[in-house]
Amino acid sequence: MSTVGQESVVAQETVAGSGTGGGRGRGRPKGTWTSVAATRTPTTLVVLRYAVLVTAALGVLVPLTWTVLSSFKSQSELAQRPPSLMPKSFAPTNYTEAMSRFDFGTYLSNSVIVTVGATILTVVINTMCAYGLAKYNFRGRNALFLLVLAMIMVPLQVILISVYKVASDLGLVNSLWGLIIPPAATPTGVFLIRQYMLSIPDELIEGSRVDGAGEFATFLRIIVPLCGAPIAVVTVFSVMWRWNDFLWPLIISQDQSKYTLPVALAQFSAEEVVPFNYILAMSVVAMLPVVLIFLFLQRYIVTGIANTGIK
Amino acid sequence: MLADTQPDIAEGARSMGSGAPARRRRPRLNRQKIAPYLFILPNMLVFAIFTIYPAINMFNMSLYDSRNGRTFRWVGFDNFTEIATDSEFLQVLTQTVVFTIGFVGFTVLFATLFALLLNDSFRGRTFFRAVIFLPSLLSAVVIGLLWGWMFERTNGLVNVALGSLGITGPGWLVQDHLAMGVVIFVGLWMHTGFYTLIMLAGLQGIDPNVHEAAKVDGATTWQRFTKITWPLLRPTTLVVLILSTISGFQAFDFIWTLTGGGPVGSTTLLVQYIYERGFSTPTRYGLAAAGGVVLFGFVFVLTAINFAYGRRKEAA
Repeated sequence: MSTVGQESVVAQETVAGSGTGGGRGRGRPKGTWTSVAATRTPTTLVVLRYAVLVTAALGVLVPLTWTVLSSFKSQSELAQRPPSLMPKSFAPTNYTEAMSRFDFGTYLSNSVIVTVGATILTVVINTMCAYGLAKYNFRGRNALFLLVLAMIMVPLQVILISVYKVASDLGLVNSLWGLIIPPAATPTGVFLIRQYMLSIPDELIEGSRVDGAGEFATFLRIIVPLCGAPIAVVTVFSVMWRWNDFLWPLIISQDQSKYTLPVALAQFSAEEVVPFNYILAMSVVAMLPVVLIFLFLQRYIVTGIANTGIK
Repeated sequence: MLADTQPDIAEGARSMGSGAPARRRRPRLNRQKIAPYLFILPNMLVFAIFTIYPAINMFNMSLYDSRNGRTFRWVGFDNFTEIATDSEFLQVLTQTVVFTIGFVGFTVLFATLFALLLNDSFRGRTFFRAVIFLPSLLSAVVIGLLWGWMFERTNGLVNVALGSLGITGPGWLVQDHLAMGVVIFVGLWMHTGFYTLIMLAGLQGIDPNVHEAAKVDGATTWQRFTKITWPLLRPTTLVVLILSTISGFQAFDFIWTLTGGGPVGSTTLLVQYIYERGFSTPTRYGLAAAGGVVLFGFVFVLTAINFAYGRRKEAA
């Protein structure tokens, strides 16, 4: 688990050619760097560093491991005092029964549909918008770009009531479209892709036009293939945003059949209608995709945060 | 290129068939003029409907009283006077400020500490960085849920661990000051990794030659920290300070599943107040919108500071 993460970070540093400390150590033959490090930093600092970091890592990993282990326990095992560390068996009973007895299959599939649908829509309209703002000169372009940036200042929490009114006037309440369309136009995505597109030489576009390609064909065949990196970043972020999204689905999905996984977990744990062993199992399901994405695509996530400062 | 090498032929072609190329060129130019608008249209349409219009309409809605979302009665600034004198709103506002101060203070402290520890190369660096960052990607709802379970009085992991040390753990989520402490802790647990990455990016931007030069001059590790690292890290610290403050004012989802705003409303923050005015009976849309205007005020001021500061940095 950890090795995969480590490899991807190392790969990122090699690609970026950055990492002041990492760069120095890499070229050196194995074994020599420890002695250099030892003269550079006093031993007490080394011990202190590991003490703090190990504590922090345990603070993250112990609760998560405890959750995963407990998600296999039965209701009576969970109530046991003192609790046992390991479950009696690793049979996925909680997982299958939560799906069959409490409709978590529906909530899971709602979450998947919304995440996939909203991400596709986000990537398409953000990329198009970024291209329009990056590579054309037209009246009002800068004002529109500033307007996009200003949208960062208006988070959903602020305009909750008035967006809900719009959504309900448009009949989007209790519909998955209501979860897919409104959050799709992300300012972060437009910003990220536009900044990248600015570095693409205009000659490529001019050349394509001279060859007789239309505006949209130029965009699709010349520009999009060059923007793989920022599009990947936006895709990864959008998947995580929509998968974890709570406040918007909470007000749009009022009908149980339209719940997403986080909404179902929040509502059912508050009402205490679903036994907690099922809630735990579904919590693990809610965390799993993000953890997997993180392990395999850490590079894109770190790049995105470094470039925008937005999560 | 064609025009350069064979000017007369190009000239001739243009004058000869003046009608045809001109007709063909005009749609091409028009297409280039219309194209950008078509490219930005879908995104801007969604923005306009679901962000810009609601943002403007929120100010409008804050001037009306509505209990059902269909009939609106003009009341002027009554909603604002009502929340300004409402003891519940004032309590919520105070709690939001207390939470934000605690959250931001500890977050900046720990993010700086972790970033400094993760800055040089050592064995396990990438592993620790990944683990510390991980919680900020997890679902906030799930994080609140799990910590609520772990801070549970009798059988939660925290009190079981304390019990094994011979300490009787308190009812973390039953006593109001402890509950606020737990909320701040969970906020910290969830977000520190993200701000650590930003601090780390700031540290990596410091030219290592400055440190080398100071070392040659005989500066100690502590001197290098206070005289070089800390001053050069100040812009990044400010960014982290502002971003975490904005995030503190907007905190909602993990608290919703951790404490539900309780006990007796002692961890209810501004966004939950807005949500409850709008979506739980008795609904008061006007009050919710007025609360939104107050929250917007905070976010706007903080973002403006951030932008102004970023501009100044670019200009310098």
